[in-house]
Amino acid sequence: MQPEVLEKEIRDIIAQVIEKEPEEVLPEARFYEDLGVDSMMALEILAAIEKKYKIAIPEEKLAELRTLKETVAVARQYLNEKEGQNV
Amino acid sequence: MIQESGLKGKTAIVSGGSRGIGRAIVKHLCACGVAVAFTYVKNGDQAQELMEQIQASGGRAAAFQLDVRDFLKAREFVEKVKNDFGRLDILVNNAGITRDKALMMMTGPDWLEVIDTNLNGTFNLTRNVIVGFLKQKSGDVVNIASVSGVAGLARQTNYSAAKAGIIGFTKALAKEVAAYNIRVNAVAPGFIETDMLSGLRQEYRDEIIKRVPLGRIGRPEDVSGVVEFLLSQQANFITGQVIVCDGGLFIQ
Repeated sequence: MQPEVLEKEIRDIIAQVIEKEPEEVLPEARFYEDLGVDSMMALEILAAIEKKYKIAIPEEKLAELRTLKETVAVARQYLNEKEGQNV
Repeated sequence: MIQESGLKGKTAIVSGGSRGIGRAIVKHLCACGVAVAFTYVKNGDQAQELMEQIQASGGRAAAFQLDVRDFLKAREFVEKVKNDFGRLDILVNNAGITRDKALMMMTGPDWLEVIDTNLNGTFNLTRNVIVGFLKQKSGDVVNIASVSGVAGLARQTNYSAAKAGIIGFTKALAKEVAAYNIRVNAVAPGFIETDMLSGLRQEYRDEIIKRVPLGRIGRPEDVSGVVEFLLSQQANFITGQVIVCDGGLFIQ
């Protein structure tokens, strides 16, 4: 998947969960400080990403979901692992 | 319209399921069509016998050796149950121990072991199931408290503190996760006929029976029936509650 497509899709997921416009979810905007995300919303973001891409992201990774950029990186990591398994 | 329990086909974890109240809960839930993974610490033979008994009657149960005081082992256990059973819908925190003594005779280990198994054990299992429940936006937790935690019982400061802690935990968590369609309730049994009561002197037993308005010591099935109710659809609008099941002993 193209990096920009993945970023756009995840931006949309985040915007939907936190009820903001996608344009507000800047790549480096901090979820907790800048966007008003709480731990339950972060979990919903993680769950929505898992569902959309059919991947399993360990709960420990929640702490790494602090910006759009970091979230895309985590999703990319597990998407790569999944694709690696399929080969 | 009369509703069914809605429990058939669900999967549950019951801690401390080989004996006493836990054993009755395992049997009761299996009879309702729930697949049950239950834990035990020392009573492997009784756990095995229960598992075979349930399997022989067409139910689904699996026994696992787990000390609920161990957080990481509890995590491994929850993951294994989810893998083996495919899903998880229910957690019943039942594992408990007593070390009854007057406070003036109570040692540090007497205090810690009771807090660790009863209260920390409840945290360890609940913490390890809750993320899954939040993600699936469903799940039910029932904690087995005690009238000791509601009313306080002499010679049980450790147990009363742990069980009162479980009641606070139940109420706080109920508020925290209600928006995710997760209910958290507790049952507070009074004097129930289990190994925990077997050391009681006959005079003391007679004294208890005299004081219980319903005139008897409770049966484990009296408690498991309340657990079934709290897990059923009939209790859909009940969360954060403590149902006292004690024959009327501690009517407030």
